[in-house]
Amino acid sequence: MNPFHPQNPMTRRDALRTFANGFGMLGLAGMLNGEAAASTLSTGHLFPRAKRVIFLFMAGGPSHVDLFDPKSRLQTESGKPLPFAMPALHRTKTGNLLGSPWKFARHGESGMEISELLPHISTCADDLCMIRSMVADNINHNGACLQMNTGEQSFSRPSLGSWLLYGLGSENQNLPGFVVLSPAQPAQGAPLWGSSFLPASNQGTLLVDLNNPIANLGNSQFSSKTQRAQLDALKMINEQHAATRGADNRLNARIESFELAYRMQTEAPEAFDIKGESEATRNLYGLDDPVTEIFGKQCLMARRLAERGVRCTQVYHTQTSKRKSCQLWDQHGGLRQELPNNCAATDKPIAGLLKDLKARGLLDDTLVIWGGEFGRTPTAEGDNGREHHPFGFTMWMAGGGVKGGMTYGATDEYGWHATENPVHVHDLHATILHLMGIDHEQLTYRYSGRDYRLTDVYGNVVHDIIA
Amino acid sequence: MDRIRIATVVALQFITGIIFAEPSPDFERDVLPILERSCFQCHGPEKQKSGYRLDVRDISIGGGDSGYPAIIPHDAQNSALIEFVSGVDPEMKMPPEKSKAQPLSEDEITLLRDWINAGPIWPDALAGKVEEVLPHWSLEPLVSPVVPGNESNPIDGFILEKLSEKNLAPSPAAGRVTLIRRLYYNLIGLPPSPEEVEAFISDSSPTAYEDLVDHLLASPRYGERWARHWLDTIQFADTHGYEHDIARENAWPYRDYVIQSLNEDKPWARFIREQLATDYFYPDEPQLTPALGYLGATPFDLSTYITSGVTFDYLDRDSMVTQTMAAFVSTTASCARCHDHKFDPVPQQDYYALQAVFSGIIKGDLAYDADPKTKRDRDHWRTVLSAAQAKDGETLLQSEHVERVKEWLSERKVEKTWTPLNVETFQSTDGVMLTRRPNGAIQSGGPRPDKATYTITGTTELKELTAIRLNVFTVDKLPKKGPGRHEGNFHLSEITVRVFKQGELNPTQIKLRRATADFNQTDWGVEKSIDGNTGTAWGIHPAVGLPHHAVFGFDEALVMNPGDRLSIVLDQLHGTGHIIGEFRLDVSGEGTESTVALPTSIVEKLSIAFTELTESERVERAAAILRFVSDDTLAEFPEYSSVYAAASSVDMPDGADAPKWVTLAKPKPVHRMERGNFDSPAELVEPGALSVITALPARFELTAPEDEASRRAALADWIAHRDNVLTWRSIVNRVWQYHFGRGLCDTPSDLGRMGGTPSHPELIDWLAVWFRDEANGSLKDLHKMIVTSQTYQQSSMTREDAVEIDEDNRLLWRQLRHRLDAETFHDYTKAISGNLDLTMGGPGVQHFTQGPGPQLTPTLDYDAYDWDADGANRRSIYRFVWRGIADPLLETLDFPDLGLLSPKRGFSVSSLQALALYNNEFVLYHAQAMADRLTEESSDLDIQIARATQLAWNREPNAEEQTEFRTYANTHGLAALCRVILNSNEYLFVD
Repeated sequence: MNPFHPQNPMTRRDALRTFANGFGMLGLAGMLNGEAAASTLSTGHLFPRAKRVIFLFMAGGPSHVDLFDPKSRLQTESGKPLPFAMPALHRTKTGNLLGSPWKFARHGESGMEISELLPHISTCADDLCMIRSMVADNINHNGACLQMNTGEQSFSRPSLGSWLLYGLGSENQNLPGFVVLSPAQPAQGAPLWGSSFLPASNQGTLLVDLNNPIANLGNSQFSSKTQRAQLDALKMINEQHAATRGADNRLNARIESFELAYRMQTEAPEAFDIKGESEATRNLYGLDDPVTEIFGKQCLMARRLAERGVRCTQVYHTQTSKRKSCQLWDQHGGLRQELPNNCAATDKPIAGLLKDLKARGLLDDTLVIWGGEFGRTPTAEGDNGREHHPFGFTMWMAGGGVKGGMTYGATDEYGWHATENPVHVHDLHATILHLMGIDHEQLTYRYSGRDYRLTDVYGNVVHDIIA
Repeated sequence: MDRIRIATVVALQFITGIIFAEPSPDFERDVLPILERSCFQCHGPEKQKSGYRLDVRDISIGGGDSGYPAIIPHDAQNSALIEFVSGVDPEMKMPPEKSKAQPLSEDEITLLRDWINAGPIWPDALAGKVEEVLPHWSLEPLVSPVVPGNESNPIDGFILEKLSEKNLAPSPAAGRVTLIRRLYYNLIGLPPSPEEVEAFISDSSPTAYEDLVDHLLASPRYGERWARHWLDTIQFADTHGYEHDIARENAWPYRDYVIQSLNEDKPWARFIREQLATDYFYPDEPQLTPALGYLGATPFDLSTYITSGVTFDYLDRDSMVTQTMAAFVSTTASCARCHDHKFDPVPQQDYYALQAVFSGIIKGDLAYDADPKTKRDRDHWRTVLSAAQAKDGETLLQSEHVERVKEWLSERKVEKTWTPLNVETFQSTDGVMLTRRPNGAIQSGGPRPDKATYTITGTTELKELTAIRLNVFTVDKLPKKGPGRHEGNFHLSEITVRVFKQGELNPTQIKLRRATADFNQTDWGVEKSIDGNTGTAWGIHPAVGLPHHAVFGFDEALVMNPGDRLSIVLDQLHGTGHIIGEFRLDVSGEGTESTVALPTSIVEKLSIAFTELTESERVERAAAILRFVSDDTLAEFPEYSSVYAAASSVDMPDGADAPKWVTLAKPKPVHRMERGNFDSPAELVEPGALSVITALPARFELTAPEDEASRRAALADWIAHRDNVLTWRSIVNRVWQYHFGRGLCDTPSDLGRMGGTPSHPELIDWLAVWFRDEANGSLKDLHKMIVTSQTYQQSSMTREDAVEIDEDNRLLWRQLRHRLDAETFHDYTKAISGNLDLTMGGPGVQHFTQGPGPQLTPTLDYDAYDWDADGANRRSIYRFVWRGIADPLLETLDFPDLGLLSPKRGFSVSSLQALALYNNEFVLYHAQAMADRLTEESSDLDIQIARATQLAWNREPNAEEQTEFRTYANTHGLAALCRVILNSNEYLFVD
């Protein structure tokens, strides 16, 4: 508890806690050595299967029964009532069963069933590890998005990405370690990638403007040549100051932070600059088609960040060529029009990302996650929509130590309840941390008299899906 | 525990007393290793899941929380321990699969069986025992310890004692420049000007330092600096937070209250009482109402409020309980929401008792009168009004009121008042035939529809109108002679009055303030004709066959110019032919006394002197008249002030323009919730506080528990009580933290077992007792005590000898080098650029532009802010703080996430922070402003440079710097040099 009378040797975590926030002694070492600090924790826990995460977030709640979880009885009994009582937790009352308007087919050697709406992702079937038995607790966007990102439905808690950054550090100090790419700000905003009580340096950096990604990289008044000259002057002043103040790591860390900032000024624009990508790569992500261009750009940036060691990149689908919305996948109505639009906008970029990562040898240690905050009801809202549905829905992962071509868990015959091997959001989080080499019960932070975890007091690692 | 002991007494006699001849498994050799390996992880010295532990004999046998014995001597078959390890119920198999503990093999289970069946024998030497739980340091009685040594400032005695135990020497005193910078930073959060530094250095008085301390503590800047510390602690911000993060336009009066209270040096106990229940303690000082902003400071989850009421109630009260226990008594009470606190002695019941304290209030804008006289007068007239409404004779017949009634009547001049409207047009919907009668009235004829709407327009010679009167007349041919066409009755659903001003295209609706009538049908009073609801109406049943009238008073006098026309719409939408048979409209420009309709029963007896009336007639008359008098008087009062707080009746900001009044008639019942699950209410819990403070009753004895304010007052008394040992330890440690960068206990809002270990517990106690008894809760005295200590005045330089022994400076062999926090960086920069605006108080300055968001929460653009805008350079405490959308610059400087309580600030360093400080518009703006200031003050570059370092660093540049800076400024400009200086460590750190 008191870091100066440790019961156990000091871990990176303790060290960070000791210095309250950001770079203390080890933090400084972390800044200078990049991965060196990160390994302190990894060795304390598990063998990491993945080094970084790309989380493709389909905000609004994508319909599992139309995309990844075909149900023959839903088709044959379409228009009839659900033959069992709906859970008490509901918003608007939905009507009878609504069969999927789309066909499913088997793909790859695994024969994984995927909707005709996703022809490109279908070609990656053997890389996907599909979880058809996801369960969440909240039926509203806000609580559900918070839970998917932080594990908690209402209070401020650190996000998945900030826990990863806190636990593992960043592999590249010239870039933010946790980046959120979202052309429209998700409805719940900063709490989805905030660091809450974790040191502020672990929070996600939101990039809304894909053409001008990081704030403060430049300014209106000084050219980069002047910048260097100013930084040199600043360095001189600060070094003279430090020399007269005795040892104080914070002074040194701040001197170093300006050097890193300067490098970030040069490296970050390069990291986000997709102009240099080949024609073939650009086309692979669909940058040649206005329909896929926006999400394609996001996915391509995500790959570039993964290559450069960004620990966690979250890609929110919040804009298509037609509209910008924080809840694009929220088809209460317009299912037959909007769902194909969303699929058309994301299918090729996602497949492109998976193929590109694979071709570059990055997929092995990059964990790609696809999903939203919940799925949608097998029953109809109106005649062309589906309601929110946290009781059983689909997410998939690829790369980073999961079994490709695997379909795990199942919902009942109508796609309502997760009945076989249910995977709760806490279990998913535990599994993600596990794949990243972290024991979810060991990664804790003391705040307000309690040791907090991403998984609170819950979560079981889903060992069956790990390769 | 006692229960378990009793249950196992019998068993123990077997175990210790009987030795069997048969060789059986040996506890130490055979059994203990199995338990250690497979069970201790969850049921051992560290953890005791379900209260069960296998390292203590009594509990091993007697069982845990269930109270059910785990080992039955000689009966392994029926011993729960064996059932668990052998997995009789696979769900309950121990150790659980998910734990990493190795399961027991069949042989091992057999061994355990044999051991139990053979006794079991568990030697006394290995019986173990539950560690005696000593009271935690923060809960021990508060006694002033003997001050070590003979130092003039007792603080130094305590610090030196610990230092000498480690053979450490304190550091020498810092120089005067360092001291003045430090004092300014800690006490007022602004940089000393070069002139102030000079004056202090050359002040040869022996009390120069103390004088400076007094001067700073007397400055209004002190309250501005320290208010933010408290606002962090209690999680204050200007918006709701959560999903619908909307503005609280009236949160700021609380911020101003805190600033003012600190500047006034309000005693701590008083400050506690005001914030929790000033309405109860100090009803005659309504100017203190903003103190209740404390209760509203935590986030508000509008979404949950709308969708799930009970859950919201418990969660919102949780925020108040958590805030209050953390801020005032440094206890993490919310850990007891689901179960008894695992580490601190807080049972679940205490937690829910605290919830019950707040169960009569809800967050929202609270209306109040800031002026005591206004409040007194308004209260008086409200009492009269409610007495009139209730026909409370005791109040109404007091001589003062009787006089009022007489006066009112003497001023009344009804007959001269009314002039008929010069009707120009009149028409009706639904086929009703309206005709004008010779007497000027308008009669309704033709088929009788279910509903009808009459529209009348007309003019008047009067120059000013204050009321309109609707007269309805009897007509012989109508059923029961009218005046209505349904059995004599009618229903006026709504009356709408508009004015067409000459030359204007559209009419303006006249706001009607009051409707009165000579007769009101029960539940169909005339006020229903101006309530905006067409489902309600004015009726006159059973007083049919008689003429009636109703008067509609205007909210404001209406000036009528030639050519202006009135339009009156009479909606009669009740149905079944409830429409008016004959009517006339009159207008009046007289004052309000004359333009109200009194009930016929009273009018008939107006000629009779008051003294001649029967008691009940007097009450009737007084009630009717005083209602108008009080109503009119109240209308003249100034508008209420408003503070976002929590109270039994509030206007809740919910994103809509219309007010949303929420009132709790009485406190809601609070149940203990099993496992904190809001679907599992257990027993009702009465208001109270923590039972661990044994000197004070844990449940409040309230004479009127329904009076919710008395609950809050009782909690305030409990907290502010001199025997609440946590309160006094909490505040002195909290204040210490801001002077030394860390509390003597480094978790200022948690002095419990999970909190930090205090470095100098005796010093905390000494300060706590002194602060309570000698300083009478004066924070300024406490500051002075601390900053005049030698400990505070030490140099902040590190020393190698000391680093080896106490690297982290827990023993305070030096002072901390502070980094400017988010606010001081802002304020220092404004100050040295010469732009600081010291305007105090009022609504927060919004350093952003606002746009619509996807839902209620708007989007904010901090980069688009114009730093030349009005108020841009006021102190940072006056910034409008959007809880969920942080100011990006201040966030990198560790401005906290106010979705959480923030008892201490972080001090991070990161490249994003460096980028922000380097390129953010705020810094660029002020670098330029500083350069402009320097250029204005002198045209000589050398002087400009010297002035720049004096302003930012409080020293002259050395020769090398002077040369370098000159070259630099010549190449890149003075603004570029200022920007470098604003980013320098010497500027950002206070030695």
